[in-house]
Amino acid sequence: MKPHASSFLIRVPSAAWVILIMMIVFTAINPRYLTLDNIVNIVLQNAVLLILALGATVVILSEGIDLSLGSVLTLSGVTCAYVMESMMDSGSPNAVAMVAGVGVGLLTGALMGIITGALVSLGKLPSFIASLGMMGVGGALSLVLAKSTAIYIRNPLFSFFGERLDKSIDLPLMQYLSVPAFIAIVVFAVVWVMLYHTPFGRYIIAIGGNESGARLSGINTVYWKWMVYVVAAVLAAISGITLAARLEAADSIVGVGWEFDAIAATILGGTSFAKGKGGIAGTVLGVLVIGVLRNGLNVIGVQSLWQPALTGTIIILAIVFEIILSRWKEGRRWAWKN
Amino acid sequence: MDNRILIEARSITKTFPGVLALDSVDLELRAGETHILLGENGAGKSTLMKILSGAYAPDAGEVYIDGQKVEVFDPRVAQRMGVSIIYQDFNLIPYMNVAQNIFLGRFPMKYGLIDHKKMHADAAALLSSLNMFVDTHTLIVDLSTAQQQMVEVAKALSIKSKILIMDEPTASLSERETEQLFATIHQLNAKGIGIIYISHRLQEIQEVGDRVTVLRDGQWVGQKAINEATVDDLVGMMVGHSVASMFTRDRQPRGAECLRVENLCKGKRLHDISISLHSGEVVGLAGLVGSGRTDLARAIFGVDPYDSGHIYLFGTAIRDLCASDMVDQGISLIPEDRKNQGLALILPVAENIVVSSLDRLFPRLFVSKTKENAIAMNYVEQLRIATPSTSRLAQYLSGGNQQKVVLAKWLCTKARIFIFDEPTRGVDVGAKAEIHGFMNELVKEGAAILMISSELPEVIGMSDRIYVMREGRIAAEIPHTEATQERIIESAMGADEVRKNRMQAETMRSKE
Repeated sequence: MKPHASSFLIRVPSAAWVILIMMIVFTAINPRYLTLDNIVNIVLQNAVLLILALGATVVILSEGIDLSLGSVLTLSGVTCAYVMESMMDSGSPNAVAMVAGVGVGLLTGALMGIITGALVSLGKLPSFIASLGMMGVGGALSLVLAKSTAIYIRNPLFSFFGERLDKSIDLPLMQYLSVPAFIAIVVFAVVWVMLYHTPFGRYIIAIGGNESGARLSGINTVYWKWMVYVVAAVLAAISGITLAARLEAADSIVGVGWEFDAIAATILGGTSFAKGKGGIAGTVLGVLVIGVLRNGLNVIGVQSLWQPALTGTIIILAIVFEIILSRWKEGRRWAWKN
Repeated sequence: MDNRILIEARSITKTFPGVLALDSVDLELRAGETHILLGENGAGKSTLMKILSGAYAPDAGEVYIDGQKVEVFDPRVAQRMGVSIIYQDFNLIPYMNVAQNIFLGRFPMKYGLIDHKKMHADAAALLSSLNMFVDTHTLIVDLSTAQQQMVEVAKALSIKSKILIMDEPTASLSERETEQLFATIHQLNAKGIGIIYISHRLQEIQEVGDRVTVLRDGQWVGQKAINEATVDDLVGMMVGHSVASMFTRDRQPRGAECLRVENLCKGKRLHDISISLHSGEVVGLAGLVGSGRTDLARAIFGVDPYDSGHIYLFGTAIRDLCASDMVDQGISLIPEDRKNQGLALILPVAENIVVSSLDRLFPRLFVSKTKENAIAMNYVEQLRIATPSTSRLAQYLSGGNQQKVVLAKWLCTKARIFIFDEPTRGVDVGAKAEIHGFMNELVKEGAAILMISSELPEVIGMSDRIYVMREGRIAAEIPHTEATQERIIESAMGADEVRKNRMQAETMRSKE
C-alpha cells in the first residue's frame, strides 16, 4: 500500500467536490457557463494566481507565511515595465529592452525574498511580522515608481507572454492554449521537481514537519528557511511579470489582496499550517476553486460589488466542510465544551 | 488536633500501552501531615499524583476523599472535593497579575463586572497569611520562581483546598527560598492541610516530611515514619535488589580518545564539566532528570551554546560549530524525545533515514528515489526494522522501530561518535535487547558511545565507565567493575554528602 496515495485521495476530493458542485450550479443557472471558450478563459485568468500560490504553498509547507507576495508581484511588474519602457524610450530594440526588463523584474523579486528570508531565518522574526512589513515596503515602492498610476507597456514581443496562442500560431486547437497557462505548467513542473526530487524540497518539508528535529538531524535550517522565502518571492515575480504581459501594463496596486487569494488557494488545496502537510497538487485545485467561483459569479451576472462577499463566504464554507469531514473521519463530534 | 484521613488511595492500578505504570498502589494522607512520595524516575509518582488530582482515571482501585468515594475522575471534580496540585512548571498566566491569577475563573463580581477592589484585597489577605508581601498588581513574569510558587499556594487556599500535592517544589529554589517554603509547609500543616510532597532529594525530606511512601517500577514498596527511616533504608527501598544486568557486553580495551570536554560551563545548567570518550567504549551518563545530562549532550552536539570551556574532537579543539557542522565531523545525537526531535513523523521511513546524508548521497542536485529506497532498505534489513515498506510513514511504526530508524539515519551519515539520550525509553523488551546489541556491535567496530540513561541496570550493564551528574556537575566517575545501583543513586541524589555531613556532625559531637 502507498500511504502517499491514500492521503492524497483523502485530502484532495473535498476541493474537487466543491469545484464540481459549483460548476453544476453555475451551469444550471446559465448554460453558457459550460463552454470550452469559458473554460480556457478560466485557465488563462488563473495561471498567474497559480504561480503565486505555488510560492505561498512552499512557504506554508515550511510552517511560515508570506504576506508580502502580492506586493512583490506588483513591484516586480512595475520594475520590469519601468526598465523596459525607459530603455525603449532611449531607443533600445524591443528584444533587448524585454530581456533587461524581465531580468530586473526577477531580480527585484529575488531581492525582496532575500530580505524577507533574512529577517525570518537570521533575524528570528515571526514570518507573519517580517512579511507584513515587507508588504508595506513593496507596496509603497510600487506606488512611487509607477507614480501611483500604471505604466503602459508598448512592447509587442513582451505582450506575447500574456496572449492566447491563436494570435501568433495559425494551427488548429491553438485558440485553446495560452502562454500564461504554458508558463504556469512549466513553473509547476519545476517546483514539483524542486519539492519532491531535490534535497532542498526534503529540507522544506522536514523543517515544516518538525523544525527542531530537522535541526537535530544536522540540517542547516537557517539557510534553507531563508531560501524558501527567496523561491516564493521569485515565483511572485514571475507571476507579476506574466500579469503585466497579459494586461500590457504594470499597475501600481494590481497585486493588492492577491496574497490572500494565494494563501486561500493553498489552504483550500489541503496544505495545513501545521506539520508540513499537503502539497502543490492540491494548490492547483485550490486555485481552480477560486477561479471557477469568480468566473461563475460573473457569468451568472452577480453584481461585481457583491462578489468579494460571496467568494469569502464560499471559501469559508469549503474549509468548514473540510474540517467537518476530517473530524467525522476521526470519529469526533462537535461540542460546546472542550 | 484531629488527624482524620483526608485522602486514601486503595490498590490503584494503571496501565499505559505497553507499560504497567502503577500496580496496586496504596497511599494515605492525614490532616496536618506532609507525606513524602519517593521513587526513581519512572517509578510511578507522577501517574499516582495525576490520578489523585483527577487528571487520569485508574484502571482498578478506589480513591476516597474525606471518606467519600471518587466516582468521576476529572480535575474540576477533584478540585471541588478539595484537592489542588502544584506542578513543577506552574500553571499561571504569565502576563496577568497576581490577583487575577489567584482568582482566575472565580472572579468576585459586582454589578456584572469584576470587582477589582475586592479581588485585590482578598488576594493581599491570602498572601499575607503566607507571609508574602507583594503588590497584587504585579505581573507573574516579574515574580521570582519562589514567589510564583506562593501564588500557586495562595490559589489553592483561595478555593479552600484541604489537600495540596506538590511536585518537586524545591527543584528550582535557592537554599533560602527552600527554608521559607518549608516554613510555609509547616504552617499549612498546622492549619490541618495535608500535603503530598514529591521529591528526589533525600536531604530535605527529613526536614519537611512526617511519613514517606516509596514506589519502585510502579510497585508500592513500603511506607515509613520519617524519623524511623535512614538514608540507607530509603535508597535500598528505591533500588530493590532483584534486578540483574540484562545485557552482557563484549568488553575490549579502549582505543584512542575521540571526544574530550574540558571545564564546560553554561549558565545555571552546567558547571565545570570535564569528560572524555574513547573509541571502542560505552560511557554511561547517569543522574536524575534535570541534573544537566541532556544539556550536556546538546552543548556537545552544537545545538545549544555554552559559556566557557573547550571541546576537542579527535584531538582538535572545536568552537562555535552548529549541529550541521557536527554531523559532518561524525557526531550524532539520538534524542530522548524521538517523536519530536528525532523523526519527521509525517515522512516515510526512507526519507527519514537519508535526510541527514542527502548532500553526501546526492551531490548532483537530484534525489534518486530508487537509490534512496535501496539505501534505506539496506538499513531496514540490517537493523531488522519492522515495516511493510520503506515508504511507510514513520508515525505508524512502534517506538522500538522508530528508534531503529533514528539509529539508521546516523549510521547512514557514517557517524563515529554516538550520543544516545535514553536509547530504550518507551521501547518494548525485544527491541530493547536488539538496540543494546547494535550498540555493542558499534563499539566493537571502533565507534564511541555516550549513553544517557535513567535506567540503572542499563547503565551498569552497558557502560565501560559511568559519569554521574548532580545539579549540573559531574558528581562521580565510576568504572563498571565498581558500579552498583546504590553507589550511582547515592551520587546522583547527594546521599553520600548527607552521610558525610552526619559523620562530621558525629565526630564533632564525640570531640565535645
